Amino acid sequence: MKKIYFLIGPIVFIVIWELVYLSQIINNFFLPSPQEVFLSLITLFSSLSIFLDLGITAQRVFISLTLAIIIGFPIGLLLGYYEKVYASLEVLIDFFRSIPPIALFPLFVLILGIGDSSKIGAAIFAATLLIIFNTAKGIINTKKTRILAAKLMGATKKQIFGKILLWESLPQTIIGLRTAASFSLVVIVATEMFIGTYAGLGRRIIDFQYIYNVSGMYAVILITGLFGFALNFVFIWLEKRYVHWYGK
Amino acid sequence: MHFHIQMKDLEKRYGPEKIIDNITTNIAKNTITAIVGPNGCGKTTLLNILSGLDNNYGGDYTIKSPDSNSMSYIFQNYRDSLLPWRTNYKNITLPLEIQGYSKKEIADKVEEMKNLGLEFDPNQYSYNLSGGQQQMLAFTRAVINNPKLLFIDEPFSALDYENNLKLRDHLQKYYLKYKPTIVMITHNLEEAVHLANNIIVLSKKPTRIAKIIENQAPYPRNLDYLKSDEFNKVKSQVFSAFQDTVIKT
Repeated sequence: MKKIYFLIGPIVFIVIWELVYLSQIINNFFLPSPQEVFLSLITLFSSLSIFLDLGITAQRVFISLTLAIIIGFPIGLLLGYYEKVYASLEVLIDFFRSIPPIALFPLFVLILGIGDSSKIGAAIFAATLLIIFNTAKGIINTKKTRILAAKLMGATKKQIFGKILLWESLPQTIIGLRTAASFSLVVIVATEMFIGTYAGLGRRIIDFQYIYNVSGMYAVILITGLFGFALNFVFIWLEKRYVHWYGK
Repeated sequence: MHFHIQMKDLEKRYGPEKIIDNITTNIAKNTITAIVGPNGCGKTTLLNILSGLDNNYGGDYTIKSPDSNSMSYIFQNYRDSLLPWRTNYKNITLPLEIQGYSKKEIADKVEEMKNLGLEFDPNQYSYNLSGGQQQMLAFTRAVINNPKLLFIDEPFSALDYENNLKLRDHLQKYYLKYKPTIVMITHNLEEAVHLANNIIVLSKKPTRIAKIIENQAPYPRNLDYLKSDEFNKVKSQVFSAFQDTVIKT
């Protein structure tokens, strides 16, 4: 019984959507019926080209997230370990974290050109700062008793780092990764709507908007949402599998 | 008599406030010493100084063989000191791992603990254990490397009475087998009298030693001991000292 609860929300959502459509509170041109959007989904998937868009967007998100982890995770660990260094950089990190990455996209285009590099660069920028911040916070918030206990056991700094701090940082790091993955997707899809791309979910959404294929546009938005949902699900799974102690 | 710890004029201040004032005493080797005193009088601070966790103090103290292999500490917030990402087995063997014991030596030590009745599901995690079991796990981890000196901060405070008595029993078994020097803080006079050879009663802040009471009852002190006249006599002495220095002042 419990297993079907997750279906209730989406079903209610579709019913409300249908009711709003039927009542015509919103012009039907701007809000097509769920059936129309569903038919557009089938058309999109049967044409196969949507798989290219999905694949390209996924590839860009994957590359930016991987590079963000490679850059952000070690920096976050170091900043968390050397609290004074983190304290001296905290204002800068918070400042850059507060800049909407899309606002920096023109700068990235200027430096990296209009190809994939600028899109991935903007996503790396957004994701890296989140990973640095969360990893560092994970280390800084380590329970002091654990460090004291390890010190009394005669642990070296390296042992304290490897056996305590690294593990303590994991729950917060995973939270950072989840947020970073969502942010990467947001930035990639948004930048795909601008210039310099031949494929991608963002490109497809904006193309459908230009030609007033509204149900197609909703269908691609749905696919984008489902992709983001799946991405989030992967991190929830990782959290349950590898950070099993979190919240217990 | 061989002393394990010698304290001379120990003093601790937090800013202008003097927390510990002129503590001079000795703790004999292979004995259990309980430190009792009112809340906030600096019992944990004293233990932190003696264990080397707090180096900002006045006066002096010496510990014979003060290396980490010979000293262990059980924290009051034992739950926080356990590592939830490690299985119970990996938790209790952490000190041995840190000190570079081989897998065979580690397995032997775990077996030794099992023989003392300190046994856990090795593949479970500490967050699946009850409070009493977690405290027992923290205790096992603290004693697995057979420390010569064991500091314990309010070991039984979070336990129900049944688990409290069980842990006292384990502590005595361990003490009788390995004869370490144990210094424990407690606010429970019954625990202090049940377990200790010497009970140090501390005063209110600025904390001084109000009285040291000796308890010569032989070990093991079973539950019948708690009903004996001998127990009540010592407990009454401790209570009087506590009353004189804490309640009346």
